[in-house]
Parts: sequence; structure tokens; C-alpha cells
Amino acid sequence: MTFNFSPRQAMERITYYVVVYRVFIKTALALMAQYRFSVLIWAVWGFVGPLISLAVWAAATAARGGTITNKAHTATFGQGDFVAYFLVFMIFGHLTMSWDAFEFAWRVRTGELSPRLLRPIHPIHGDIAVNIGFKLITSAMLLPFWVALFILLKPTLPHPDWRMLGLPLAVILAGLLRYVWQYALAVIAFWTTRVDAINQLFFTLDSFLSGRIAPLALLPGWLGAAAAWSPFSAMGSFPVMLALGRVPGDQVLVGFVVQLAWIAVGILVLRVLWSAGVKQYSAVGA
Amino acid sequence: MKHYLKLLAVFYRTSIQTDMEYRADFFTRILASLLGLATTVGALAVAYTYTSNLRGWTFAQALVLLAVYYLMDGLIEMFIAPNMREVMNKVRDGTLDFVLLKPVSAQFLASFRTINVWRSVNALVGLGLSFYTVGRLSLRVGVEQAVSFAIALACGMAVVYSFWLMLVTLTFWFVKIDNVEQILWQAFEAGRYPIEIYPPWLRSTLTYGVPVAFIITVPAQALAGRLALGFIVVSLAVASAMVLVATVFWRFGLRYYTGASA
Repeated sequence: MTFNFSPRQAMERITYYVVVYRVFIKTALALMAQYRFSVLIWAVWGFVGPLISLAVWAAATAARGGTITNKAHTATFGQGDFVAYFLVFMIFGHLTMSWDAFEFAWRVRTGELSPRLLRPIHPIHGDIAVNIGFKLITSAMLLPFWVALFILLKPTLPHPDWRMLGLPLAVILAGLLRYVWQYALAVIAFWTTRVDAINQLFFTLDSFLSGRIAPLALLPGWLGAAAAWSPFSAMGSFPVMLALGRVPGDQVLVGFVVQLAWIAVGILVLRVLWSAGVKQYSAVGA
Repeated sequence: MKHYLKLLAVFYRTSIQTDMEYRADFFTRILASLLGLATTVGALAVAYTYTSNLRGWTFAQALVLLAVYYLMDGLIEMFIAPNMREVMNKVRDGTLDFVLLKPVSAQFLASFRTINVWRSVNALVGLGLSFYTVGRLSLRVGVEQAVSFAIALACGMAVVYSFWLMLVTLTFWFVKIDNVEQILWQAFEAGRYPIEIYPPWLRSTLTYGVPVAFIITVPAQALAGRLALGFIVVSLAVASAMVLVATVFWRFGLRYYTGASA
């Protein structure tokens, strides 16, 4: 891949990708429409985790008389706040999810990857298209459930604020960030298909450092610091806190910059791993 | 009866022999399982830094539940899951005919053909955690508790088997529902923590609807020595009843199986 600085060539490449993506997404949507019941079951999977976490923290809050404040006294959460946090996390988590890390080992092992490598376009584009297609369909299916949850559980909603204008961008960047890093993780399958432990490690780090099991402010100090230095908080916590109006005005821009920086690092890591991995894959003669 | 036991021995022996081919995976599985444990225990621990009890459960008590969850998870993945998934595959491919044509009960053959040895990892992790928490809580686990624990686990497995068999029987009518087992796992995950933390309607669902509470809480109580003999008898009765219902439903469903010649 070289950088085309001629405007005409750039336009041609963009048009090429637009056309390819349109076809890929249409195909993915058609495929998913066939298996809509299965797709729905997979989508509902995302409900269980956040709701269980919510139940745990609601119980903890009740035991503390209605509010929980962290040791540094920088953040306070009441029952309604926890509801809002985990519901938003559930929705954003769904919009930013990706699963290639789980499928890739299977593809390498069964040789299903080979025909994809022979296409004139990088396999990642097909996967991105399926990812987008899945989210389009499932978000439409899940929207009534999400609305129902908001009505039933009564979260404490923040006052609309200028900071929330950046929300769509924050979610898109978070999704891109997560996608890039988990694809880099997936590529490790080129060297070994025994990726269970590696994937689980990523998932464990992600659970704590992205704020999935608890708001980052409530984690023990050292864990919260680790989260701030990892890409995970930019994937999970930042857009959620932005939506809840809990990001101070001066931190908003910083948050976006951090997201972009980690995306750049991730793309670099992915490209290095991919070229090394493909060489390895071809050498082994799959 | 002896005939079936001999068959069972053959099934398990051949299954284990096949599994031995994949022992390299065992260590990655152990690592993955321990990491998973770190996640669930850690999540609980963070909540417990703010309070010493969640709806009446202390950290150590909640760990007992978690230990039983992992133990059940491991046992299900070892004995029940591989067989149920295989049946669904066979229904989809039309190869269930080969099972139905054998001179033994199709249900027996389909349910007990495989044992997945390497999935014992979660069971071992759960067992280890049980020992730890029993020590932590200074529980006295004598023969009585151990036996009632084993019975409670067996009843739990029977209930899970019945549920899964009924879900699998549904594939005779709806063939394209591969991941229907996710419904089971999602409900099961909720049983990881004390059900008192859930709202009343969910508590009832998890007790009477999808009896996750039964599967996990009852063995936990047995371990803590709080399971009365009467309740053990009730558990055995419930488990037997469920297996019976599932068996009847399976036989009913078989009549609608159209097979490879469909």
C-alpha cells in the first residue's frame, strides 16, 4: 500500500472501496437475514453481562445506603447512576463489538483463509463489512429492548450538554480502535492456533480496564491508573462517560486525541503483524 | 442394564483415546480458565471493597457459589455439551439415521457417546476454589456433606441435561437454531452470583423457570452443610421428573424427524 497523493488517483481508490463495501455489506445483510433467529440470540448475549454487573453494584449501593463514592472522593454513583452507566455501556459495547479474534484461528486451521488471501483486496475489508452489517441489523432488532430497559430501570440521565455533540464520533472511534486491536490479536493465529489463553487474556484485561465490570473511577487506584495508560479505556469508558456528562470540559479533547493515538498505534502493530504472519502462513504451505 | 454400562465404558474409553491427541491444548486451557476465574473473582472483589455483604452474602460465601458454578460448567462441558451439540449437527446433516438404526436406545447413544476430557479444566478450577472457600469459611465437610454435595451435583446435571435435550428436540422442527444453547448459558451465567441481587421477578424465573438457582445454589448449600435430607429427596424427585419429561418429549420429537431422505 502506497500513499497516492494525486487527487484523481485518491478519488479512484475511494470510489473503489465504496463500491466494494456496498457489495460486501449487502451480501452480509442478506446472509444474516437468513439466520435472523441465530443472529438475535447472539445479539442478546450482550445483555447478560452488563445486567449482571448492574445487579451486583445495585446491591453494593443498597448496602452503602444509596450512594458509593470512591476513595479519592472524585466520583459518586447512586442507584440511578449505575443503571445509566451499565445501560449505556451495554449499548455502546454492542455498537463497538468485534469477534474476528475468535474466528481467525478457525480460519487458519481449516485453510478457509487461503481463498481470501487470493482476492485483490485485503481480507479485513470483508470482515469489516460483516461487522457493520451485523450491527445495522441487530441494532434495529435490539432498539425496542433498549428502550424498554431505559423505561423499566429508570436510569439517572444527564442534562444535555455541548460535550455530547462529539458522542457519535467517540463511539465510531471507539469501535474502530477496538476493531484494530482485536484484529491484531486475531492475527496471532498465524503463528499458533492455540489462542484460547491469549484471547482470554485480552478479554480479562478488557473487562477491567475498559470499565466493563465497574466504572474506572471506582477501581482500586493502581488498576485505574493502568486503565488510563491502556487503549481499553479509550475503547469503553471514554464514550460512556462522555454520554453521561462525566468528562470534564478540558478532558474531552484529550480523550479524542488518546483514541486517535491508540488507533494509529494499533494500525501500525496490525500491519507489522499481518505482513509477518502472511509470510509465515505461506511458508508453511497452507 | 449391565449391557448399557459396558457400552458406556467403551464409549468413554474411545472418547478419551481420541482426546489424547489434543493434549497440547490442555495447558492453554488451564491458563485460559484461570484467567477467566481471575476476571469473575476480581469483579466480585472490586464490589466487595465497598461493602462487606451483598444482600446477606459475604465475599467468601459468594465464592462458594462461584466455585460450584465453575464445577457445574466443567461437568456440563465434559459430559453433556459435546453430545447435545453432536445431536444437533446430526439432525442438520440428516445423519441421525445412523444413531436411530443402532440396536440400542437412540437416546442413550446420543446422550452418552462422548466425553470431553480436556473440558475438565473448569471443573478442576471449580473444585480447587471449593476447597479454598471451604477452608476460608472453616466449614466442616464430612462424609454426609460430601455425599449430599455429590447427589446435588448429579441432580443439577440431570436437570441441565433435560433442558438441553428438550432444546435439542426442538431442532427436529426448527433446524437452523444452532446457537440455541446460548439461551442456556446466558441463564446459567446469571446463577454465578447470589440470586438475591436480582429483582424478585427474575429471582422467580431463575428458580422455577430456568432452574439455574436450583442447579447452583443447592450443591452450594450441601457443601455448607445446610441441605436438609427432605430437600435432597425433593431434588432427586425433581431431577427424575425432568429427565422423564425430556425423554417423553424426545420420543415425541423423533416421530417428526424426517432424516436424510427428506
